[in-house]
Amino acid sequence: MDKETQRKWDSASRTLDLFTYGENRRLGPHKRQMLSKIHGATLMVAAGTGNDFEFFPPGQHIVAIDISPKMLERAAKKAAAYQGTIELCEVDVCELPFPDASFDTVVTVCTFCSVPRPVVGLRELHRVLKPGGQVLMFEHVRSKIGPFSIFLDLMTPLSRRFGPDLNRDTVGNVQKAGFRLRREENVYLDIVKIIEAVKESA
Amino acid sequence: MYFVIGDYMAGMLIGALTALGVRAVVWPGMDMVIAMLLGMAVGMAIHLILGLLLAPLLEMFYTMMPAMVIGMYGGMLFGMRDSMAAGSQTLGAAAVVGALFGAIVVFGLKVYDCTLRGVVVDTGD
Repeated sequence: MDKETQRKWDSASRTLDLFTYGENRRLGPHKRQMLSKIHGATLMVAAGTGNDFEFFPPGQHIVAIDISPKMLERAAKKAAAYQGTIELCEVDVCELPFPDASFDTVVTVCTFCSVPRPVVGLRELHRVLKPGGQVLMFEHVRSKIGPFSIFLDLMTPLSRRFGPDLNRDTVGNVQKAGFRLRREENVYLDIVKIIEAVKESA
Repeated sequence: MYFVIGDYMAGMLIGALTALGVRAVVWPGMDMVIAMLLGMAVGMAIHLILGLLLAPLLEMFYTMMPAMVIGMYGGMLFGMRDSMAAGSQTLGAAAVVGALFGAIVVFGLKVYDCTLRGVVVDTGD
């Protein structure tokens, strides 16, 4: 377990709901549309305070993990309100305790901007997905547009101290981890994206 | 509609405060390069503070990206303009020009976003 990352997100749990208030209202329809594609055994990585549970289609059984126990404490009430079952577990995405090929779908929402070793984490997701399984990601990434990318690079040393990196190449990392990119959609500029990838059948 | 109005209000506020902030530190006759760099620094500082305050209401990137353009580029432009004493004789006029610049940047980014938004890759399976 990465204790430094755990401490950072324990601390961030106090203000996360405040900072995602606008995000959930503005980007909620995009998240709901993406999450409507989940099927079978589903793993949600970095559940946070459970703000995204409301966007899951009802009637699912979801295993939701987070590295921060403080986040999970706050998520418990929202998990209880979900019309299905959400099982919360304190787990580091880089050390998943699940057997190989356990899940049909893995979901992440603004997660791989924050995982210190993103390719290691994504390889773990690849391992626990069944062949043919899908990963659905709602993520912000480094822009390919010059002035924006410079700004995001400049801001990252500051943002990293309290929250996420702003300049991750998550689409590239997904492919490095062995996934095949199925779909990529820009939600805002080329920064906020929906990324869908699959684990090829053997 | 709440977000559209909010985006423009935020852009205009950041633009106006950047113009006023630059006016406070740049005087007519200042070396233009120094005025430009100083303006950029003031704009960046203002956009960071206001961006942080407004992001919970409008979403982080929808707030931060226009604020960055307004603060960084607006600060440079206002710095050069003030060093030449080119127009906007009163503080009110400077604030109006700043707000107008903010609104134009927000509009421009909305148009740019429309061209980028949507599916980039779709393998169809």
